Amino acid sequence: MTSVTVAPRGAEAKTTDAGSRRRGNAAGYVLRKIGLFVLTLWAAVTINFILPRLMPGSPADAALARLAQNGPVSEATKAAIEVQLGLPSGNLFEQYIAYLGQVVRLDFGVSYTFYPQTVAELVSTALPYTLVLVGVVTIVAFIIGTLLGVLAAWKRGTWLDTLPTLGGAFASAFPYFWTALLLLFFAGYVWRLFPTSGAYGPTATPSFTWDFFVDALYHSILPALTILITSLGGWILGMRNTMIPTLGDDYVTFAEANGLKPRVVALRYAARNAILPNLTSFGLALGGVVGGSILVEQVFGYPGVGYLLFNAVTNQDYPLMQALFLMITLSVLVANFIVDILYGVLDPRTRR
Amino acid sequence: MMQTRRRLFTAAGAVVAAVTLAACSIQIQSAPDPSIPRDTMLVAADNGSPMFERNFNPYLANKRVASFYVYEPLVILDNVTGEEFPWLATGYELPDPSTIVFTIRDGVTWQDGEPFTTDDVVFTLELLRDNPETDTQGIWEYIESIESDDTTVTVKLQNPDVPAASLIATTLIVPEHIWKDVEDPGSFRNPDPVGTGPYQLGNFAPQQYTMDKYDGYWQADKVAAEHLILPANNTQLDVATKGYDWAYSFISDVDNVWVGAGNDNTYWFPPGGTIALFPNLTKEPFNNLDVRQGLSLALDRGAVGDAAAEGYMDEAGQTNILLPYQQDDLDPSIPNSGLIAQDTDAALAAFERAGYTLQGDRLVNAAGEQLSLTITTANGYTDWLRGVQEVQRQWGAVGIDVSVDTPQPAAYQLTLRNGEYDFAMGGTGGTGSLFRDFNSLMSTDFLKPVGEEATNNFERYDNPDAQALLDQYKVALDDDERTQIGYQLQQIMYNDLPVISLYYGGSWGLMSNAKFTGWPSAEDPYASPKTYESTPLIVLTSLEAVADD
Repeated sequence: MTSVTVAPRGAEAKTTDAGSRRRGNAAGYVLRKIGLFVLTLWAAVTINFILPRLMPGSPADAALARLAQNGPVSEATKAAIEVQLGLPSGNLFEQYIAYLGQVVRLDFGVSYTFYPQTVAELVSTALPYTLVLVGVVTIVAFIIGTLLGVLAAWKRGTWLDTLPTLGGAFASAFPYFWTALLLLFFAGYVWRLFPTSGAYGPTATPSFTWDFFVDALYHSILPALTILITSLGGWILGMRNTMIPTLGDDYVTFAEANGLKPRVVALRYAARNAILPNLTSFGLALGGVVGGSILVEQVFGYPGVGYLLFNAVTNQDYPLMQALFLMITLSVLVANFIVDILYGVLDPRTRR
Repeated sequence: MMQTRRRLFTAAGAVVAAVTLAACSIQIQSAPDPSIPRDTMLVAADNGSPMFERNFNPYLANKRVASFYVYEPLVILDNVTGEEFPWLATGYELPDPSTIVFTIRDGVTWQDGEPFTTDDVVFTLELLRDNPETDTQGIWEYIESIESDDTTVTVKLQNPDVPAASLIATTLIVPEHIWKDVEDPGSFRNPDPVGTGPYQLGNFAPQQYTMDKYDGYWQADKVAAEHLILPANNTQLDVATKGYDWAYSFISDVDNVWVGAGNDNTYWFPPGGTIALFPNLTKEPFNNLDVRQGLSLALDRGAVGDAAAEGYMDEAGQTNILLPYQQDDLDPSIPNSGLIAQDTDAALAAFERAGYTLQGDRLVNAAGEQLSLTITTANGYTDWLRGVQEVQRQWGAVGIDVSVDTPQPAAYQLTLRNGEYDFAMGGTGGTGSLFRDFNSLMSTDFLKPVGEEATNNFERYDNPDAQALLDQYKVALDDDERTQIGYQLQQIMYNDLPVISLYYGGSWGLMSNAKFTGWPSAEDPYASPKTYESTPLIVLTSLEAVADD
């Protein structure tokens, strides 16, 4: 083993040999990526400002639409609501400047829907639930799915391949909300195994105690299971499909021929090179964590960002919508940025 | 209905689940939480989206619903029967049409033990004047000044306006000794409410809160439930399975899903208003009465109601009166209680008077153009959409080309206000005040040109006769006189069709007799079964505990 230099190691060696030249190149690469990041961010922030304002009807209309279902609404009610909501003043350009100032200060004002709560209050109570639930599940699904994909590719044709591949494809073909509803109905109502709504028991108060943690964990099982079931298949298939061609590559054959342990060949040689596409998807999935859980949170009454976003959009709640969209855009952009940088590290060819 | 709608949204999932339930024929059984004692009522009244904010300011749109169980009005107006219940006032009189004298109830205390006085009433009314954002009912549109002595509060109106009395009387009263120190009542969250009502806030958590009976309540002997539990999440499946005592929620297949879930479960779905089609009366040919009559006669309203509300709501009469609960207000000379039966031949005859004839399967005018129109309804109001689709089918059957437009609720509201539609689905009536029901529909005070936002009279009905009657109503002190004016307004509604009534909008009351009895019902319709606003006070003081056996 010591006497043989295998391809990937050779690549590593070369990188260190020509370190100085490549470092300059890498810095330029990072700078270019940062520039692009800032430009995209500005564009996103601006679109974020314009889009809600293109929706017909104002936040007061949305509030009135709710009230009007109870009976006729008087002129005074409309006026009172407009004062309560503190609707934006000034022309569009002034609003835009004020908005940019808010974005920089991360001050998004008061929510229309949940008046008089501030957007900051709402987001800070909702975000932890989503980050923990969807974030952890996404990471777990990625790890399990990728490992299963490696296994499936390595044991191609055996039951270790067909079972996860077929099972994953089957489960991921269900719509998100349908899986959620089935779980909710059977595990929640028919068998009464798990709570059916909320992030913790009705009388619990969020705190850093063991009891609360267990309670919250218990309440998160059904939504977590939903995300796991529907996303696992994608990771398995993605990994398996890039792994198989890699397994046919010369350096893998060479490593096998040199008598390396199968586990080492599979993980260090084949999987490491095959993982790049899956890593991109992972970055995107992580970025989508904040906004990607609307339906699951909706079905399980889970007090996360997705549920908040749903309420914001249906009620034309500009301040809340803008803050949430900005968070989603930002997390996707940051995740992409990190993946870009990681790519540069994992695959030197990207930096050219 | 607002509550239903929000619940429908948040429980969109549960609706699908309920369908699964029916499809799988699995009978869900109610399994009450054994830790809830018999003197405690589980109520689906307040809906957190998805968590509760501790906001008990009775003047904010986002207040906790239980604020209505803490703060009381002078008078409660029941919207189903139109009956008034003297509450913090033992009654009121109008010596002339612009003066209201409220006699304030003696022996009432605030929940901190302080006595309730006329000063609290005056303070509250002035608070709404000084902070217009809290005056959501707009009572200061009518009030000129307020005076008081030890037992009465006298409100002087700017103009003679008898019906304004019941509006001012429903204002929720807050204690002066606490609220005088509140800096900004328009954004105050009032986390520890003190009112005169039967319940005080108990434990508050973001997913659930409890209310405890106030033992010093002025009619404490009538309050049967010692505690109320209000969870934040009340999906329809929750309501059916968790042993709720009282809920306000539309449930599909209610006999199987709700009544079937527990032996003691009952329901009462009285009308809470009328769902109608608002024509755009500034537009040809909808401003033509013959066309409106044709459209009206072409409808089988029963089928529309069945399609929209799964058969739970009846077809609505064309009088704007909620039947059978407001029968006393109905003009007896109007044929068939104002119900208009489908009569295709008469419809075609009416269309012919307007110059439209049936050619093949198209209803066309002299120029050969088909009568075509668009009905606007709000996206996500699935019951309305089903009703509109049934109308589309029925009008289509007499040769009219009907399309359906479903903007988002905010955009729908704007369309309605701007008058930029052909026909719009909308709710009307059901306020409990005959005057307000007709005024919001027909008063020329609200008239605005198309393109400008109207707050009422969206169909832009301009009839000086109707306005004259409304003006007469405002100064009429005599009950019989008001009844007669009401009859004439119904005649106008029935004959002139400013809007085309379709079916009643429901109040979806679900109750259980397991722990408490005496719920309002079709046999004993003493109050609306809804869990929000002030009518629950009537219900909460009418229940009796079931003896433990």
